[in-house]
Amino acid sequence: MHKKVSIKNIIGILLTLLVVVSVLFPILWLFVSSFKTDAGVITYPPQFFPREWTWKQYQYVNQSIPVLKMLRNTLTFAGLTTLISVSFDAMAGYAFARMHFKGKDILFTIILLTMMVPFQVIMTPLYLEEFKLGLLDSYAGLILPRATSAFGIYMMKSFFQGLPNSLEESGRMDGMSEFRIYRSLMLPLCKPAIVSLGVFHFMNNWNDLLYPLMLTSSAEMRTLSAGLAVLVGNKAIKYGPTLAATMISLIPLLIIYIFCQRYFVEGIATGATKE
Amino acid sequence: MNKIKKYQVHNQKSAYLFIAPSLIILTIFVFVPLLSSLAISFLNINIFMKDISFAGFANFKKLAGDARVSNATINTLIFTVAEVPVQIGVALLLTMYVAKNNKYTKALRAIYYLPFVCSMTAIGIVWSMMLDPNLGFIPYLLKQIGFETISFLKDPNLALPTVIVVTAWKGFGYTLTLLVAAVLNIPESLYEAANMDGAGEWRKFVNITIPSILPTISFCVVTTTISALQVFDQTYVMTQGGPLNRTETLVQYIYDRGFQTAPYDLGYASAISVYLFTIIAVITFVLRKFVLDKGENANA
Repeated sequence: MHKKVSIKNIIGILLTLLVVVSVLFPILWLFVSSFKTDAGVITYPPQFFPREWTWKQYQYVNQSIPVLKMLRNTLTFAGLTTLISVSFDAMAGYAFARMHFKGKDILFTIILLTMMVPFQVIMTPLYLEEFKLGLLDSYAGLILPRATSAFGIYMMKSFFQGLPNSLEESGRMDGMSEFRIYRSLMLPLCKPAIVSLGVFHFMNNWNDLLYPLMLTSSAEMRTLSAGLAVLVGNKAIKYGPTLAATMISLIPLLIIYIFCQRYFVEGIATGATKE
Repeated sequence: MNKIKKYQVHNQKSAYLFIAPSLIILTIFVFVPLLSSLAISFLNINIFMKDISFAGFANFKKLAGDARVSNATINTLIFTVAEVPVQIGVALLLTMYVAKNNKYTKALRAIYYLPFVCSMTAIGIVWSMMLDPNLGFIPYLLKQIGFETISFLKDPNLALPTVIVVTAWKGFGYTLTLLVAAVLNIPESLYEAANMDGAGEWRKFVNITIPSILPTISFCVVTTTISALQVFDQTYVMTQGGPLNRTETLVQYIYDRGFQTAPYDLGYASAISVYLFTIIAVITFVLRKFVLDKGENANA
């Protein structure tokens, strides 16, 4: 009996470690390869570690790829979208959870239904609409359609429903306005949910490809994931700068992941209970 | 009484103010496009928006006879049917080992989730370079142990399987996180009863763990299937639909017809979108009926 358990454990350890290697190998390869020289990147037989380490790819990456511009665009797009969407999602979620008004149930059902609409279905009309409104290829055009989300409203509603009634009643006794009750009594209690939702929005928008690809056309407005995909697809750039630019596109999210890991997981765990 | 009524009216007004921003945005950027998408599929319309005319069913007739549509449909379905079981199977297998809370398993889970945090663009770029037959590390290693040089992404028979593996590689950590959360929620008492009966690890996994997390597994099957049917990023970055359109998916074909290749036929692109939406809706409906309900019944 005891022996059997230990064999199972050994298989488990080997299996889990094998997957660790397969996950870390490409990421580590990208990291070390971004420090190779131009010759080092295309040398054969390929070397895992650089023969000579150099910062050159990072120093000169901006000359072959407008990576700083793309970084600025991505930060603006993902950052502002996250801030605005979290604010609007929380406000709407709060109203659906704690307030009474006509049409509440039907409105909430309609909002939930939008979660099931695949982006491809609204993609072409959205493009036409933004063309008519003159929003194509602009920050406003990227941010506005994402300025709220059914998922965020749903998530915030579930969170607000769990808060006690006594708080808002005490606020009403003190004659606070509904908005002040929300802003200074209720919202501060939802920090974990707000951060989870924020991380969720930030990651999705940072990584999104088809959406910014379609709504931007100039090199000036490209985000990192769309801009890199286009440049690499056209085979317009060398390996070395591509590796450095790819690394740059990953670093901000990886840093957030390292420090806010539990919020990444909480955000998606809420998603799973929505059924 | 009067006071309560007055309060409720006031409360109603502010409630509408609270939901107004979200409602306005959803109306403009989701509902209006959703309703117009069907309308656009009946039009002759291109990206320059001149000479717009009514097309009747022409776009749908064209779709029915378009070999690239049937090719893309088959690719999308093969991708879905292969990718979903791989991603969920790997996650489920690993869940057996990491669904407990200690330092070691927490570190493993944090690492497994890492590819999900990275963009598909970055991952596609890295894997394309590592799999490059001339310079890539992986074909080189395989050659060292006696294989022929393999062009994973340029071989028509290997390209789609390779894209499937990379997709599962990126996504299994997400599925794993959901499954582990479900396993950790199983009441300890269930296992204690089994221990008293002298049940082994495997029997406990099959008889307690799996049935308890069945709703979560079903949820993963449904959501992973829906996103697999919308596959775009990985093929766009790694293969551009090639070689010989063997990795061209429906979304990619929509993007190509509408936004990439002249005459940028938005009416036709919209018709293919409606077609894809129908496929997704039917498959979702069937899965909900047979997978989700089953999962929920098992738990009840």
